[in-house]
Amino acid sequence: MPVLEALLPKVLSVRRLPGADPALLRAYGADPERHRALGLITVDQDDPAYVALDEATKHANVDVVFARSFYAGSRHASGPLSGEFLGVIASDDPAEVDSGLDAILETLAHDACFYGANADSSIAVFPHVIASLGRYLSAIAGLAPGDPMAYLVAPPMEATIALDFALKAAKVRLVKAFPPPTETNFAASWLTGDLPSCEAAAMAFAAAVCDVAAQPRER
Amino acid sequence: MSLPLSRTRDLVAALRRARGADDPMPPRERLPPVPLPPERVFPSPRRRSRIAEAAAAHTTALVGIGAVGTRYATDVVLQFQAELAVAHAAVATELPPAWADTNQYASVVSRVTDHRQFLLRPDLGRRLSEESATRWAATCRKDVDVQPILADGLSAVATMGAGPTLMAAFIAECEARGMSVGTPVCAKFARVWLQDEIGQLARAKVAAILLGERPGLGTGDGLSAYLVFGPQLGRTDGNRNMMSNIHARGIPPADAARRLAVLAQLMLEQRTSGVELDLAPRAAELGEAARGGYRPPVARARLVEV
Repeated sequence: MPVLEALLPKVLSVRRLPGADPALLRAYGADPERHRALGLITVDQDDPAYVALDEATKHANVDVVFARSFYAGSRHASGPLSGEFLGVIASDDPAEVDSGLDAILETLAHDACFYGANADSSIAVFPHVIASLGRYLSAIAGLAPGDPMAYLVAPPMEATIALDFALKAAKVRLVKAFPPPTETNFAASWLTGDLPSCEAAAMAFAAAVCDVAAQPRER
Repeated sequence: MSLPLSRTRDLVAALRRARGADDPMPPRERLPPVPLPPERVFPSPRRRSRIAEAAAAHTTALVGIGAVGTRYATDVVLQFQAELAVAHAAVATELPPAWADTNQYASVVSRVTDHRQFLLRPDLGRRLSEESATRWAATCRKDVDVQPILADGLSAVATMGAGPTLMAAFIAECEARGMSVGTPVCAKFARVWLQDEIGQLARAKVAAILLGERPGLGTGDGLSAYLVFGPQLGRTDGNRNMMSNIHARGIPPADAARRLAVLAQLMLEQRTSGVELDLAPRAAELGEAARGGYRPPVARARLVEV
């Protein structure tokens, strides 16, 4: 299999709760005053799912109330429907939740995905460019909605080396770093700058991960 | 038209191309190591079967030559390739333009213009070019008994080899038997039937064309002779008598010349040729040609030593 083959995320379950119990709403971070309907999704890749949830906030009047990765990733899932991610979007209108879920599924099917960084794709890299942030990730990153952002993920060693290449490849700024260990034991970083810089940084990151995968030991 | 669905996917695809990893074919699998063949195989010598030996004693054909596994022995293959090469070279050879003059023959050429056309267009090789026909009609001896023609046919090698010897011997034999002989002529790019037009223009009673025959394996030097009584355009192969395999391992040229002269004499006596010609009156002089008896095969010459 050639290097940088797309590893498509699998959506394992999608369910809706049109009128969720207020106790449940509170437990999952929603506000019973503003939210009534929930849309829930599990995916076997967490980072594409975060991007997809953010995308939903641009297409529908929904809030991302809950989004968590599961420990040690989808290869150690608690069940066949668990994957490594549970995301919950909330709205007072079930129709808005539906359009939000549509946007999530569309993004997972056609946009955000990991790529194999070596021949057998045992090393995965997520060099994703978000051209325009939604309300969810922009709030976490401390950026404005509409800003571009490079969302870069790889295993610890690869991510660390590649982040250096990415930062030096273009005029970008490190917004937030997620050094290992994270829940899934990957390492992530968020970079911002103008869109071409974010794109150049993301591709430098992907190329560097491939290079580290090709030559893991320098000595 | 494809919509830009995902900027990131397009970027990664471009990166993949830039890194030369966009090959749609899977990486080539390494072949398992193949052991080298032994430098030389010495097949255990086996006696040929009685049938193979008896057959080989009757013919020069490649019978009873054995096999190595499912293949011919290397020696057999090499001999075959060498013999085929001899045949190819003979067909490919062209009579040099000055050859006829050097050997003091009159020279004519057929309507063929080059060697490739000669091989592809037998019909053109059966007629004289207009220039040749005019010149031949103006210069040749007329009203002769025998018109001798030497031609290249399909093996100019044979013509240039034993051709002049056979021609001279044939002319001498004819004259010794009291026949008048026409101007010796050499024809280039000639097919057998060209003798009809040449003989007709010379008003000869018998036309005799001696020409290189289509080579077989290892025999690029064979000559054939065709005789026809009353040559004129439109004669068929039924009107001709022929003798083939005139070479050292077949009929020697001196022997062939004598028999051809006898044939010509028969034609003049019976005023016919071809299937209607009765060979019986001179069977003794024609020797085995009249009888068609057994002649032991001559061993094939080895062209390559292994």
